[in-house]
Amino acid sequence: MQAAGQQLPLEIGLREEQDLEGFVAGDNAFALATVREMALGAGEQQVFLWGPAGAGKSHLLQGACLAASRRGEQTAHLPLARLADLGAGVLEGLEAMSLVCVDDVDAIAGRRVWEEGLFGLVNRVRDAGGRLIFAAGCPPGDLGIGLPDLVSRLGWGPVFRVAPLDDAHKLEALAQRARARGLELPAEVGSYLIRRYPRDPRALFDLLERLDTASMAAQRRLTVPFVKSVLES
Amino acid sequence: MSNRLWEKSLERLESELSEQQLSTWIRPLQAVEEDDTLRLLAPNRFVLDWIRSHFYSKIQASVREIAGDPGLQLVLEVGSQKRPRPRATSPERPAPRAAAPGPAPASSPAPARPPRGPAVEEPEEGVQHNLNPSFTFATYVEGKSNQIARAASMQVADHPGAGYNPLFIYGGVGLGKTHLMHAAGNRILEHDPGARVIYLHSERFVAEMIRALQHNAIDQFKAFYRSVNALLIDDIQFFAGKERSQEEFFHTFNALMEEGQQIIMTCDRYPKEIEGLEERLKSRFGWGLTVAIEPPELETRVAILQSKAEQNQVDLPSEVAFFIAKRIRSNIRELEGALKRVMAQARFTGQPIITLDFAKEALKDLIALQDKLVTIENIQKTVADYYKIRVSDLLSARRSRSITRPRQLAMALAKEMTSHSLPEIGNAFGGRDHTTVLHACRKIDELRESDNRIGEDYANLLRTLSN
Repeated sequence: MQAAGQQLPLEIGLREEQDLEGFVAGDNAFALATVREMALGAGEQQVFLWGPAGAGKSHLLQGACLAASRRGEQTAHLPLARLADLGAGVLEGLEAMSLVCVDDVDAIAGRRVWEEGLFGLVNRVRDAGGRLIFAAGCPPGDLGIGLPDLVSRLGWGPVFRVAPLDDAHKLEALAQRARARGLELPAEVGSYLIRRYPRDPRALFDLLERLDTASMAAQRRLTVPFVKSVLES
Repeated sequence: MSNRLWEKSLERLESELSEQQLSTWIRPLQAVEEDDTLRLLAPNRFVLDWIRSHFYSKIQASVREIAGDPGLQLVLEVGSQKRPRPRATSPERPAPRAAAPGPAPASSPAPARPPRGPAVEEPEEGVQHNLNPSFTFATYVEGKSNQIARAASMQVADHPGAGYNPLFIYGGVGLGKTHLMHAAGNRILEHDPGARVIYLHSERFVAEMIRALQHNAIDQFKAFYRSVNALLIDDIQFFAGKERSQEEFFHTFNALMEEGQQIIMTCDRYPKEIEGLEERLKSRFGWGLTVAIEPPELETRVAILQSKAEQNQVDLPSEVAFFIAKRIRSNIRELEGALKRVMAQARFTGQPIITLDFAKEALKDLIALQDKLVTIENIQKTVADYYKIRVSDLLSARRSRSITRPRQLAMALAKEMTSHSLPEIGNAFGGRDHTTVLHACRKIDELRESDNRIGEDYANLLRTLSN
């Protein structure tokens, strides 16, 4: 749980990058549309998103919380991989939320107490008329969950695969983030980053963050040579 | 009471905390603004402790600054306050319920201050119940797999406490047990709108009992559950291994039975097979009527899909319904999930008619997974494991009953679950003729009706293979 505090400096002030408007859909237009509707209080009562790390699932979940919260709703985002060290009691009382986003469902698979806790949460939230968004690395049936009651409840709503962005869409996402920072990212610099550096969007965005700081400090525009010098130093 | 102060504070906190911190810890808080106090209600103790140790001073500084009141008190508590939900509703979604069942000190109205008293739940005007009004007999699709359970539930609803008591409904997950239970409850209320009908999940019963014990409120807890006219308790297998809860439920059960009040229970298995459940409970559960719900057969799955589509005012051609029903066999919940996936995609793309190709495209991820899983080899292995025999026995020429029955079951499952033809299936079973496969399928169909054991084996295997 320390991580929650440690990431602080990185993410401040980037709200527009975490809302749903800042999500580059790529092949995930339906997943995005479903989540957006739910954030607005319409559409499905629950949805399950699965796909590899870096595909943007947590972005969708946090974006949904942000949007619903701005409409005055109470929401909770539960990154289970981080919360799993706390007790399953962290799931108590959340039926008071209008929207509950359960991230990293994988993290509690096979842990009976957590599985029962999550099962109870799903029942309570649905009974209270609340909405649920789940995210995991694979579909409900493949998670290795021991409680069949939970598996079937996870698949109650539509199940969407969230596919990682291809290079063209990654470039678009990178450019969009740069614009949100007021940073001009020439196409050749974007392509250079995608070719030469980690393909995981999150890592790419962190790179952008470093470049932003460096360009501000050096009062330089982003060019390939400048980027090279920053990232190789 | 406006929450302007908290809304503004949240905006301020957005520039000081990460979205991850906000959405996990801060956004779940509910604010209650009073004259010189901002009361923040946390959903549970974990959130409360986390806020207290990580964010308290930051929040306090923000709210004081925004309120322009350095003396403003910030109070943190566990609790929640009822409030209207600003949300649209869809026709099939259950309306938010009137009240949580039971004494439920958890979601108490008004800021609950620790130590919280028991039974802070005010009685609602009139009789409170928490049934889902859309779960009725009219919306329950009847088929061979559930007709006995349905008839029994209706009978019980028409004569509560008089005939079958308790009614014990068992079957696998997602087969419609909860729907049936609510339908019975709704019908009881139709006949007698003043009846106290309480539905709850057994996990809730356990949690509430623990909370009642913690708050010295066990007497209120007992009194509450012993005062109902019908107790509908879902998934009682969750009592397994929880002795204190079993003890408490045992007494509640006896009290209600003595008063002639109706009890309806559901479970994922036959009472005698619940491990970790006291014998005296097992035997009592069998006092009334015990009925099974089987996984729905193809025609019923199709009818369920069509009924759900109709509830959503969507036109679902029967070839599409058959396509989905053939691929999603495990349970109704997943059937519903698949249909929702197709309907959502149709809505987003403005597709006026759901064609077969459209449905195939919408479900391609799902289908790829299913097709990958269920092969004849997989079925053979699963059946052999289940009966503790070898796969080679299934393929052999041996004709002893202990081998032929599993072999016939495996063939019937291959017919039901894969798209292989009868000759292909025969071939995969040691080069047998397709008429042998046909005979096996018919035999198993017949035995599933007449022999409980076979019926259950079939259901279990189908479930294992479908998950």
